[in-house]
Amino acid sequence: MTDDTPNRETDAEKARADGSGIVAPDDETPTWRERKTRTQGLSQLTYEYFERARREDQDLRQESDYVERDVLAFPTWPHEVIRNLAVASFFVGMLIFLSATLPPHIGDPANPSSTPAIILPDWYLYWSFGLLKLGPLNPELSILGGQKLMADRTYGVLANLVVVGFVAIVPFLNKGSARRPVEQPFWAAVGVGGVLFAFTISVYSAKNLIPMNLHLLFDLTFLVPIVGGFVTWAVLKTMREGYMYDLNRRYYRLRPPK
Amino acid sequence: MADEFIKGLSIFTGAGLAWMVLAGWYRTPSFESEQQLVAPVELADSATMFDSLGVLLMDVFFWFAILGALTFWVLVPAVRRAGEALNERVG
Repeated sequence: MTDDTPNRETDAEKARADGSGIVAPDDETPTWRERKTRTQGLSQLTYEYFERARREDQDLRQESDYVERDVLAFPTWPHEVIRNLAVASFFVGMLIFLSATLPPHIGDPANPSSTPAIILPDWYLYWSFGLLKLGPLNPELSILGGQKLMADRTYGVLANLVVVGFVAIVPFLNKGSARRPVEQPFWAAVGVGGVLFAFTISVYSAKNLIPMNLHLLFDLTFLVPIVGGFVTWAVLKTMREGYMYDLNRRYYRLRPPK
Repeated sequence: MADEFIKGLSIFTGAGLAWMVLAGWYRTPSFESEQQLVAPVELADSATMFDSLGVLLMDVFFWFAILGALTFWVLVPAVRRAGEALNERVG
């Protein structure tokens, strides 16, 4: 008996939890080419993960008291309510504990007659603040005799409009039919690039946050998101080999059609 | 393996929280200062036995967080792996 035709009975007796020794069901037996592509590295890992998930799903459905439902989930009451109560109680308790044990001092009132050395908005607006500092990208047009078409501050406001406009357009470009990033590597890469850009432009907005040449920091602000997005795309493309689309479709059968 | 991980994580977060609170009491002159949780310990003359106990427990919790997590994340799995390897070689 070789590895390719394992005994189903011994397999069921001794369910191994590490994902080894699992086999595809008869009607989904992989071809030799598929076997070859799934024998090493990340594609093998992805394949074994999803194969194990499929196997657990199958075992669950074969249990005698299992009720076939369209979506595999727990009822809201009592399961989810008790779970949520436990989570909420934990965080409320943590808030009370920390505010009781480490009460922060109330600092001096702000002095309106002195300007602080560093002026920054709240942290969640750093990205917008960074976009206001894109002066180096504002081209000096030779047709205007080396003049800039608009002031740097106008250019920065325009950059805000462009970025917000792109974020607003994305839901219309991609309807979000993918349940997991592996299903649409390109759009996952766009998302990762966007998150990285939000981070790098925030770091750039403070200008002296990282002890680094400002020109290099400015270049990295735009290069890091591109490189990160490309790496994401490449990794997810590799993972597609082991990904099982049927399993995902089975779990989310109630999804509305595109 | 998952059990060992959650044991280590519980020790790390629980003891770390206790250390953070005690260090906030005894090693933080002010939340505005640049040295928080790591400033040298300064006990006032009015310090009671509970204060010195707190300073002692602060170090206890600190090392418990580090050594406890290392034990369950590194030591126990390593010993287990070594035992498995030994068994394979013998058996």
